[in-house]
Amino acid sequence: MINNTLYSARMKMADLISADNELLSILHRIGIKLGFGEATVAEICERYRMSTELFLMICNIYSFRDYTPNVDMLRKEDLPDITGYLRASHVYYKTVCFPHIHNKIHMMVAELDSINRRLIDKFYDDYDAEVTNHFMFEENIVFPYIESLLKNGKSLQLDFSISKFEENHSYIGEKLNDLKNIIIKYLPEDYSSPIRFEILKDIYDVESDLQKHSLIENKILISLVEKLETSNE
Amino acid sequence: MNRHSKYKILLIEPSEIVALGFKEIISRSSDFEIMSTLANPTYYTNIKSRPDIVVINPAVVNYNERFDVRSFFCVNGDNVSIVALTNSGYEEGVMRLYDGCINIYDNAQRVIQKLRSAIEETLQNPKNEINELSVRERDILVAVAKGRTNKEIADEFNISVYTVISHRRNISRKLGINSVPGLTVYAIMNKLVDISDFN
Repeated sequence: MINNTLYSARMKMADLISADNELLSILHRIGIKLGFGEATVAEICERYRMSTELFLMICNIYSFRDYTPNVDMLRKEDLPDITGYLRASHVYYKTVCFPHIHNKIHMMVAELDSINRRLIDKFYDDYDAEVTNHFMFEENIVFPYIESLLKNGKSLQLDFSISKFEENHSYIGEKLNDLKNIIIKYLPEDYSSPIRFEILKDIYDVESDLQKHSLIENKILISLVEKLETSNE
Repeated sequence: MNRHSKYKILLIEPSEIVALGFKEIISRSSDFEIMSTLANPTYYTNIKSRPDIVVINPAVVNYNERFDVRSFFCVNGDNVSIVALTNSGYEEGVMRLYDGCINIYDNAQRVIQKLRSAIEETLQNPKNEINELSVRERDILVAVAKGRTNKEIADEFNISVYTVISHRRNISRKLGINSVPGLTVYAIMNKLVDISDFN
């Protein structure tokens, strides 16, 4: 991908949104308030004390499928912004995306017979617990590890390294994909259930969002921490 | 075979000697004709009309990339018979991907016979292979849903763990469901296992 087709620091923030309205959810996560007039991306990032380079990378990941972030553009000082963004993104999933899906699933199962209702409820609840665990592990173990590595030059958790996280970092979208196919193909037919279409639309959206989220973790966070670990040795 | 036109064969074989010999055998048949010969499958997409049978040397297929022979040649729900052309034995898991297998030491009569039965098989069970689970796959799905490990399933059915994994991969591909909980939901919904087994 040629760099000049990507977003740049001198673009107006408002133009970024009209180029791809999905970026609104990034602003939502970071807490950037609307009403920014003609301000450029660089100006807004400075106002919110966020690395412009990182903000652009995240937006490029969301908007351009073939884009591969170049970690050499970031410094270790950007790490707190990255973990900050990932935490904010977790909050967004937990308070916006998943509750939406959960509510709709409640409405959908109300129309099912008791066996199918129990099946879908249990499947979703287990998935929900898995996601919570996944996020909690990152927030309670991985991010603090990175933060102490930055602060002290080494970590207090001697038995942990980012490669351990990398090995066990599973993609949490697999069961969502299963749920999608169960709803599309195997849930008994019904006469009128717009709710199923709505759920599927939501699942597709959150799935593609999760893919980008894990790309940020795998390609940006992990690579940057690996560099930090070797430079500390 | 009640058909006026000949069945079209696409041959994918890197050895010119073998390819020419195969062509010679086909030229003597009244039911089949070679529409095109390729040294490897990469150029398949350039071929305008669809073959009825693809005869392919499995050695040109890269297993490491999990090349799915069937989904590669059966685009848009085309029904294409896929027949392997080999000079050695392949593992059961690999051969199950094909509708038939011709050995280079088969005589001309046997080659034609095998092509006929492959095409009949495909006509009788259109896309059956892709969509529905086989009896064996259904049995294995039930065992997976009940929480058995691959090793336990291998022992129960007297097959290798490798074969169990290959069955599971096929099951997941057909159903579009990968996780064990997802497979369990499918199995209960389709009454393959009873929900009371799970309290």
